[in-house]
Order: sequence, then C-alpha cells, then structure tokens
Amino acid sequence: MLKPANYYKTIVAVLLLLMLVLPWIITSSFALEIFVRILLFAFIGTSWNLLGGYAKQLSLGHVAFFGLGAYVSTLLEIKFGISPWIGMIVGGLVGMTASLPIGWLCFRLKGPYFTISTIATANVLMLIFLKFRDFAWGAEGTTIPNLGNAPLMMQFDTKLPYYYIVLALLVLAMSITAWIERSRVGYYLIALGEDEDAAEASGVNVARVKRNIYMLSAFLTALAGTFYTQYIYFIDPQTAFSFNVSIEAALVSIVGGIGTLWGPLIGTVLLETTTSLLQSYLGNSIGGIQLTVYSLILMAVILIRPTGIVGYFKEKAHKSSSYNS
Amino acid sequence: MSAAIEISHLNKKFGGLHAVNDVSFSVRENETLALIGPNGAGKTTAFNLIMGFHRPDSGSIKLFGQEIANLRPHQVCALGMARTFQVAKPFGAMSVLENVMTGAFLHHPKTSRAIEVARESIDFLGLGAKENFAARDLTTIDQRRLEMARALATQPKILLLDEVMAGLNPAEVDQAVELVRKLSQRGLTIVIVEHLMRAIVAVAKHMVVLDHGQKIAEGSPDVVMQNSEVIRAYLGSAYVKSEEVVQND
Repeated sequence: MLKPANYYKTIVAVLLLLMLVLPWIITSSFALEIFVRILLFAFIGTSWNLLGGYAKQLSLGHVAFFGLGAYVSTLLEIKFGISPWIGMIVGGLVGMTASLPIGWLCFRLKGPYFTISTIATANVLMLIFLKFRDFAWGAEGTTIPNLGNAPLMMQFDTKLPYYYIVLALLVLAMSITAWIERSRVGYYLIALGEDEDAAEASGVNVARVKRNIYMLSAFLTALAGTFYTQYIYFIDPQTAFSFNVSIEAALVSIVGGIGTLWGPLIGTVLLETTTSLLQSYLGNSIGGIQLTVYSLILMAVILIRPTGIVGYFKEKAHKSSSYNS
Repeated sequence: MSAAIEISHLNKKFGGLHAVNDVSFSVRENETLALIGPNGAGKTTAFNLIMGFHRPDSGSIKLFGQEIANLRPHQVCALGMARTFQVAKPFGAMSVLENVMTGAFLHHPKTSRAIEVARESIDFLGLGAKENFAARDLTTIDQRRLEMARALATQPKILLLDEVMAGLNPAEVDQAVELVRKLSQRGLTIVIVEHLMRAIVAVAKHMVVLDHGQKIAEGSPDVVMQNSEVIRAYLGSAYVKSEEVVQND
C-alpha cells in the first residue's frame, strides 16, 4: 500500500506526464487552442489566488499587471528589438514594482472598498495607454511583426511550443504556491485573511506579508500578459487591460476552490470546457443562449458550493478526520 | 522585582471622548494584575494602546525599560507581549493546530519545529484532543483556550487577557481561573481585564481600577473594594457612606 503522500505524488507525476503528451494525443488545432487557453487562465488564476485566495484580498484589478507585462515586452521588442523572453522578465519586474504604489494605496481599504480601488487602478492604466498615443500606439494598438519561426523572439509557426511555454508557467506558479502553502508565509496569509488584528497580535507583520505576496502575484500575472500578446500577435489597451481577465482570474479560483492549490486549475478546466462546449452546441441556435446557460451554471456552483469544488472535498475530508479523532 | 510594564501619563482621545486620561501604573515581573472598571472605563482601549493597536496621544509605555508606545502590534509581540481578544478572534478556517502554529512561527520559522512548539501550548491549554478541529467549530471556552494557546506559542513574557471569562458558566470559570494560575506559575506576567469579581480575587493580588478613562484606585483587592470612589463607580453614590460622599463631591 502507498502512503497518502506517495499517492498524491504519484497522481501529480501521472498528471504532469499526461499534460506533456496531451498535444500529441489530441492533435486538432482547435483543441490545442482550448488547452492553451485553459492553461493560461489556470496560470493567471493561480497567480491571483496567492493574494485573492490565501490572503483573501479580493482584487478585481489584476489585469493591471497583465497589461503592464504585455506592453513592456511589446514596447521593448518593437522599439528596441529586445527579445520578449527578456521582455517577459522585465515586464514581470515592472508589474511587481507597480504593485508597490497600487498596494500602498489600495491596502488602506478593506473588503469591497479594496476591490473597487483595484478595479479603478486597472482602469487608470488602461486610460493611460489609450490616451498617450506617441508612447504606445493609443487605441489602435499594434500587431507584433511576424518573424515566422523565431524561437528566440518567442514566435513559433505551430501552436505546440506555446502550449509548453504556458504549461511551464503554470507548473512554476503551482510549485511556488505548493511551497508557500507549506511554509510560514502560507500560514501567515491565511491568518491575515481570517483576521488581521489577531494575526498582528500573533506577531505577523501584516503590511509586509501583504505587500510581498502582492508583488509575487503581480510578477506572475505580468508574465501571462507577455505570453498572451506573443500568442495572439496583437496588443491594444482594450485587450491588454480587459476587465474580463480580472474577473476570469477570480472566477476560476472561486469556482474551483479559493485559497487552494488545485482550485484555479480545476475551475478553469470546468469553466473553459463548459464555455467551449456550450459555444459549439448552442452557439448557432438562439443568440446569447450559451452565455445564459454558462451564467446559470456559475450561479448554481456559487449557491450550492460557495467554497468551490476543492473546498467541498476538503470539508468532507476534514469532517471525517475530526470525527475519527 | 523590576517592572515588566511601566505606563506613565497615558492619554488617548477619540473625538470628544477622553478614553484614557492620564493613566499611570506599572506591572511587576511575574505578578498578575487585574485591570477593572465599569463598561466603557477604557480597559480595552488601554490594552489596545499597550499592544500597539492604537497610538497614544501622549504618554509612555515601557516594556522591560524599552519604550514601545509607537511600535506596531507585531513588533510588540516580538518583544515578548501577547494578548487575547474580548471577542475571540480565532482563524476560523484553520484547524486548532494551524492557529497555534501561526503564533509559534514567530520564533520558529521551520514548520516542523513550529508544530512541536504549538503542540506544547495546545496540550498546556488542554486542547490536545481537538487539534484537528476547525477553529470555528469550537465552543466559546475552547475558542478562548485556543486564543491563549496561540498567544502562548509566541513565547511571551507578558500576557494580556481581555475578559477571558465573559460568557462562561460557573464550572468553566473555575477551569479558566485554574488556567490563569497555571500560566502565572510558568513565570508569565499577566494583565487581566475582567468583570467577574470572584475570578479576579482568585487570580490577582494587585488591581487597577479605571472609570471614565481615569485611574481611580490601585492596590490589593481588599483595599480597592473598600475605596469609596470604586463603590461609587460600580454601584452609584447612594451606596457610599454619607461623610465620604461629601468629601468626594
């Protein structure tokens, strides 16, 4: 018999292996596009979850960092010819730095007021990129020059490499999360999310822990921005700072299980698969019907399982363990 | 014995309310001091000032001689002072063990060591059988125990207990009194805010009485309870012997 910890490791290894061979088993480019989308939003969700899930700081402005990452790498590539691989890291650092003033402002507010202020900061950034034409193409945006197959410039003639890049990003974010979950910081995040005063009184430097996790979350989210722009070969303020990205980041985590390692991935698989299936089955019947069904599913999940899918199983496991002891 | 906490001329106003008005007292090392007074006397505000949740308008708070009046709560905690809250604030989503580990991490960043320190506190408070329970599922007294365990896990020298006995039944009060005594025997300096006279007399030899933000009496329980100011504050001036009323008015 395997011990539970070994079971878990085996399952993770098998899953990772499966993800690595998946595009060789299901080769349709439509499917591959959905896979990339799932992995991308699972990655953004996982990054968001560090702040929004574990520390319960419900940010709905994470697209600010996504957009900054996208613009920084694109500007560096088009204006200075710098590879997006470097641009991606620089974008991450810019996002991380931007989280300092944004956090300095927004963390003064609590609960819904914090949420609103994060939305506002993301909107301000979008407006800046809309209005300052000389600096970043304004509302028209720009296309990324197509260089054919140029791996050093993060451009590929098939979808396959994109799949592996975003898979690597997701594995990175989930590994960081898994490590944090087991370390002191993980406990501190959950503690301050539950009660800031009690956390302070227990010796937690709440302001510093929040600032640090916001920086990490922003850094990772910015990487997603660079990837997405390179993937779709286009950038404009409306896409780069789309409110939908912020919503989706929160939504996949909430549906899958907020503040859990696997929640964002499970939530994304569920939501993206549902969207795609509804789109292909219902998309041609009555206009907007697939969105209606999607919204109903979402409402059902929130009403029946407010802790999300992973949360539901955790509660079950927890109940049985406390009855046994 | 030297002073563990030395408070002098402490002031805090909230708008027009002078919540703490020129209060001075000191707590000796190893003693249990009771801070009492009617509702709204400023006891909890005093705790919040000492622990750093509020900044005093003026005055000084010294912890083993070090000025802490402008430090934040986590810094005060790191210097060796921990507190419980009047309304227990457990980390509801965490288990009992995880709650207490959060405190233990202060001096033991390694998870494995934090677990050991946390277990020691949990056992001391008699919660050993419930370490895997979610904190939000605990009864009132167990939540209070959990708060004490979490505070204890930060390995403080001074413990501030804010009404740990409120809402407990008589049998539970006896248990709580026993706990406070055990904590004191461990060598902790304890400041306890409490309404329940029976419990205070059982644990504290030294009392400070606040009323409307001012210190009106200080001393041993016998002396304090004979004090006419204290009787007036708690029961009204009708209960004070007539000649003293004249003096005090």
